[in-house]
Amino acid sequence: MSSIPHKNGAANVYTRGAISMLNNRSNGDGASLAVEDIDWDALTIKGTCQEIEKRYLRLTSAPDPATVRPEDVLEKALHMVETSEKNYLYKCDQLKSIRQDLTVQRIQNELTVKVYETHARFALQAGDLSEYNQCQSQLTRLYGEGIAGCHLEFSAYNLLCVMLHSNNKRDLLSSMASLSKEARLDETVKHALAVHSAVSSGNYVMFFKLYKKAPGLNSCLMDLYVERMRFEAIKCMSKSYRPTVPVRYVTRVLGFTRVDVLCEANVADGLEECEEWLKAHGAVLTVDENSGELQIDTKVSSASLYMPEPDNAVSHGDASLAVDDFLA
Amino acid sequence: TPTPSAASGTPTPPSRRLLGSAFLQEFRNWETPWAMEAMHMVALEIRLLAEKADRELVMSGKNPDKLQAAGSFLMKVFGALAVKGPKRVGALYVTCQLFKIYFRLGTVNLCRSVIRSIETARNFDFEDFPVKDKVTYMYYTGRLEVFNENFLVADQKLTYALMHCNPQSESNLRKILKFLIPVKLSIGVLPRRTLLEKYNLLEYADIVTSLRRGDLRLLKQALDRHEDQLLKCGVYLVLEKLELQVYRRLVKKIHIIQREKEPSKAHQIKLEVLVKTLQWLGITMDVDEVECIMACLIYKNLIKGYFAHKSKVLVLSKQDPFPKLNGKPV
Repeated sequence: MSSIPHKNGAANVYTRGAISMLNNRSNGDGASLAVEDIDWDALTIKGTCQEIEKRYLRLTSAPDPATVRPEDVLEKALHMVETSEKNYLYKCDQLKSIRQDLTVQRIQNELTVKVYETHARFALQAGDLSEYNQCQSQLTRLYGEGIAGCHLEFSAYNLLCVMLHSNNKRDLLSSMASLSKEARLDETVKHALAVHSAVSSGNYVMFFKLYKKAPGLNSCLMDLYVERMRFEAIKCMSKSYRPTVPVRYVTRVLGFTRVDVLCEANVADGLEECEEWLKAHGAVLTVDENSGELQIDTKVSSASLYMPEPDNAVSHGDASLAVDDFLA
Repeated sequence: TPTPSAASGTPTPPSRRLLGSAFLQEFRNWETPWAMEAMHMVALEIRLLAEKADRELVMSGKNPDKLQAAGSFLMKVFGALAVKGPKRVGALYVTCQLFKIYFRLGTVNLCRSVIRSIETARNFDFEDFPVKDKVTYMYYTGRLEVFNENFLVADQKLTYALMHCNPQSESNLRKILKFLIPVKLSIGVLPRRTLLEKYNLLEYADIVTSLRRGDLRLLKQALDRHEDQLLKCGVYLVLEKLELQVYRRLVKKIHIIQREKEPSKAHQIKLEVLVKTLQWLGITMDVDEVECIMACLIYKNLIKGYFAHKSKVLVLSKQDPFPKLNGKPV
């Protein structure tokens, strides 16, 4: 579609309708409305801007081609973001800007897929589920139109997301049913299915084993479920173990150790973190008379366990992941 | 009365809907429900035509929206019937048509509002409705409860449907059983093989066997083999959860064998025995995992007892270590 001529960036008759719709839409929850939901058909242009780095500025009027970057520049911009060492907020901002430029020019090809995949991956690493979901739905659409990309990797993420972060069994069933033969053989997908199996039967040992050796970014998605799984596990152990269960053991099987160890004696790191976590959740700890080892008094604990308010919750105990890091 | 149109080229849902709307308009004005059968006929036809139209739209690469439109129309019909007076007995039929549409479209969450109208509105006395409508209604609402994993309620509803279904209607009985059997399995009730054979539900045969035998590998194989089918009708997740019951059966068998060999020590099962048994059955699980499964079985009341971590022994309660599920799901 050739660029629509206009004077000084003013709207012409073709764009006026789209703009009024834009203005109507931007009332209310504008912040969460994805760039892709606006009807850009009437606004398609070809950009001429050459800036590789460009902040995201939400469009409120017809885009001036001089501010929109053409495809080759966007490729460079994507590369720049991928190799940048800056924090997530910066990358997110840059990527949203790239996404907008692509959408405005109706570019829907492998580059578009790459951009969404990149943004989705960064979002997962940062724990930004809402941004990830936006990208995932665009990717599902683009893959569905036959555009090449890492569709297997993302079908695994999609599975994990549905099973761990929504309670919708029907969505889970249809996601599982729509897996192709090829998908079921993919390692990342197989891992996701194994996680499902573990969660389904409450098998916390299996869950944390899978957590340790998660391919791709599966662990990022599992991250957000770790707290819940640990709490379920401790409830389970409090009911079924008598008289006690060693804290070392809990440290090992509930994924508090960084390295996989097979023997309790080798548990060194993670012990303190585990102890802190247990106390924060109401577990009653005692010291074994003979060995001097810290134990959970399961019978007493079973009555006193609780899930603390999110502020106090120690999900992965990594206090070094402070929010301030993102704002640096 | 509109007659079913023959399959000749493109059906004309828009014009059929106009006809339907016109009929509905008149129907609202009539005081008595004398035209109820005709109203039902209109409802049924609209749905069937819309389904056909959607199929044709998909084939020519267009967006299939006729069934959704049919749903909206039927909601209006429902509204006309959900009134005080004799017309209301016809409402359940239309409800069932709506269920069929929503299930087909996958928008089952829309069922909620109709269900609420039927079950809480004072206009309706459930007993007044015709039996066949009640059966269909219970079948669909039972299926919804399966999705929500409310197995006890699902059992009630699907059993009702089964009991009141026309015994001659084998295909309907089969449909009900397809969902009732997984529900029954979840609460520990196993069907006889003759039942599965009679209604051609042999995809469940191996699953039932695995529960009887405590054979985990067989369960996994059965789920694998029929995966597509089971995912499609939505019972896969329910059957997956039977895993724990299979483990329980296995532990019970070990307990029985130990009781014969050495009754005094029978209530103590060493972890290594469990691991070895599983290995022998072709399942490689490490010690941690087996211990975890035992803990889960106790936690979910499938086994009464406790696990002694230091000595790595599962200690069963001397009284009733394997309590009956008693209709309580895991």
